[in-house]
Amino acid sequence: MAPYRWKGYLKLSLVTCPVSMTSATSESEKVRFHTLNKSTGNRVVSQYVDSVTGKPVKDENEAKGYARGENDYVILTDDDLDRVTLDTVKTIDIEKFVPAESIEWVYLEKPNYLMPDDPVGNEAFAVIRDAMKSDGVVGVSKLVMGRRERAVILEPRGEGIVLWSLRFGDEVRPEEKYFDDIEDESDPDLVPLVQKLIKQQTSHWSPDMVSDPIQESLLKLIEEKKKALRPKKSAKGKTSEASPKSNVVNIMDALKKSVAEELKSRKAG
Amino acid sequence: MIRFESERITLFGLESQLGDSEFGVMAGGQRAQWKGFLKFGEVSCGAALYTAASTSDRISFNMINKASGNKVNRIYVDSETEDPVPREDQVKGFEIDNGQYLQIDPEEIAATIPESNKTLSVEAFIPCDEIDDVYFDKPYYLTPDKMGGDAFVALRDAMRKSKVAAVARAVLFRRMRTVLIRPHGKGLIATTLNYDYEVRSSAKAFEEMPKLKIEGEMLDLAKHIISTKKGEFDPATFNDRYETALAELVKAKIEGKALPKPKKVEVSKPNDLLAALRESAGLLASGANGKSKATRTAANANQGSSGKAARGTASKAAPSSRSTSHRKAS
Repeated sequence: MAPYRWKGYLKLSLVTCPVSMTSATSESEKVRFHTLNKSTGNRVVSQYVDSVTGKPVKDENEAKGYARGENDYVILTDDDLDRVTLDTVKTIDIEKFVPAESIEWVYLEKPNYLMPDDPVGNEAFAVIRDAMKSDGVVGVSKLVMGRRERAVILEPRGEGIVLWSLRFGDEVRPEEKYFDDIEDESDPDLVPLVQKLIKQQTSHWSPDMVSDPIQESLLKLIEEKKKALRPKKSAKGKTSEASPKSNVVNIMDALKKSVAEELKSRKAG
Repeated sequence: MIRFESERITLFGLESQLGDSEFGVMAGGQRAQWKGFLKFGEVSCGAALYTAASTSDRISFNMINKASGNKVNRIYVDSETEDPVPREDQVKGFEIDNGQYLQIDPEEIAATIPESNKTLSVEAFIPCDEIDDVYFDKPYYLTPDKMGGDAFVALRDAMRKSKVAAVARAVLFRRMRTVLIRPHGKGLIATTLNYDYEVRSSAKAFEEMPKLKIEGEMLDLAKHIISTKKGEFDPATFNDRYETALAELVKAKIEGKALPKPKKVEVSKPNDLLAALRESAGLLASGANGKSKATRTAANANQGSSGKAARGTASKAAPSSRSTSHRKAS
């Protein structure tokens, strides 16, 4: 999946500047798995076929259809979709500002990085960013993202702005259902003790806290595997049929081991 | 068209609703996604995780064969032979070299699912203002079991008083996950965090940007504009207008009407920026008085009582406490 990318405008009252946006998260660094055909060892690929004739559909004939009735579709091109009459397709108009802490975290859906898209807008962008920063507020706006119009908040960060899409009201489950039975009051003797523990164990945020031991060992093993396979292949041509199998087993053993070690070291630390 | 199916590492199966839910634990009629222990220091209490947010559907289109007007189906075929591949013959593999793949049997995958010790153990507390929220993935409500209530509420209140969040790790949904735990109302919310390699840091994303600092009149004007737009926002009240707009577009298309051209957006020129800010600030100052009846924000209410509120004072008077902001009268 390509990272989300968008170009448009940021607007505060009569000030408008061109901006671009990319998602803060990306899956491109993840180890990929593919689907194989067990009996041939070849890749499995997906193909579109006509539901009536069963014949493969050519690229240029694939189109998006809006269901008007049963088996009755209105074809929409990407160009059509850009013509939806919502200003929020292209423009982030900041309508409101709220205290930075006032949006519940549970509503934060996906973070994106917003920046000027043309030097002409550098100063206007900086004005909006710095004014929010010096006031301790975040901007509230809306934007069409992925065929939905979403509430978004804009939060100044460093030289840029982090734009969060927010979840919809019906996507967040009401907490009362879950928290009703929990006591309001805590034991006044216990809390200071826990606070003492908190003080002892307080440390600074670090991305090391979100490492992925499984992926790390996977990458290492794939690397080793490549090294092990290459010389064999060039020297003896088709060597052993059995080797992949045993390597697979090794990978799984190693993965299991790495997880066990991770658990152990976490426990110890 | 041929597409290569590549599945990002969901090595141990999808992070699915099935996760660890074989416990079948219910609270308030809800099914727990995970049940185990929350451990901090030497204290450990029974706890459960419940999905706090789900994803609702967006509008989906049908894929159509333009040539015939029929819907299309997706089939899975062998890349060489182009023969359909039945589900039971589809196995996972990874590419070790161009065109060379290693097969992995489902049983082997199942065997690698880490042995979970069913414990969400707190490894560190971090000050709330140091949290880098761009790592946030999915929120879960964290609740105690009947026996664990005392320890749970003590942790909740101590964290709140110390203004910290807890970083915990656990084998969760068949992966080793890090979660960030923080107080929320009477309970706790545990948010899974994305892995380091899934997140681009903001520092890196913004490093190419020119270093500009705005001061003086421009900043004052922008702050003034902000002060007139201060208010509250409850995301729960937001309405998505996309579906309606799309239905109108489809209607226009069916009726053969020309679709509206996208409006041209005028960009503020650097030379005109100050003027645009001045004009915005002027417009808003007069507009705010007229609008104060319609928008019932506290900031505007304050403005109303003091007539043309001086800039800055109105904004300072705006309530900024969390408790007021989400108890919005509507």
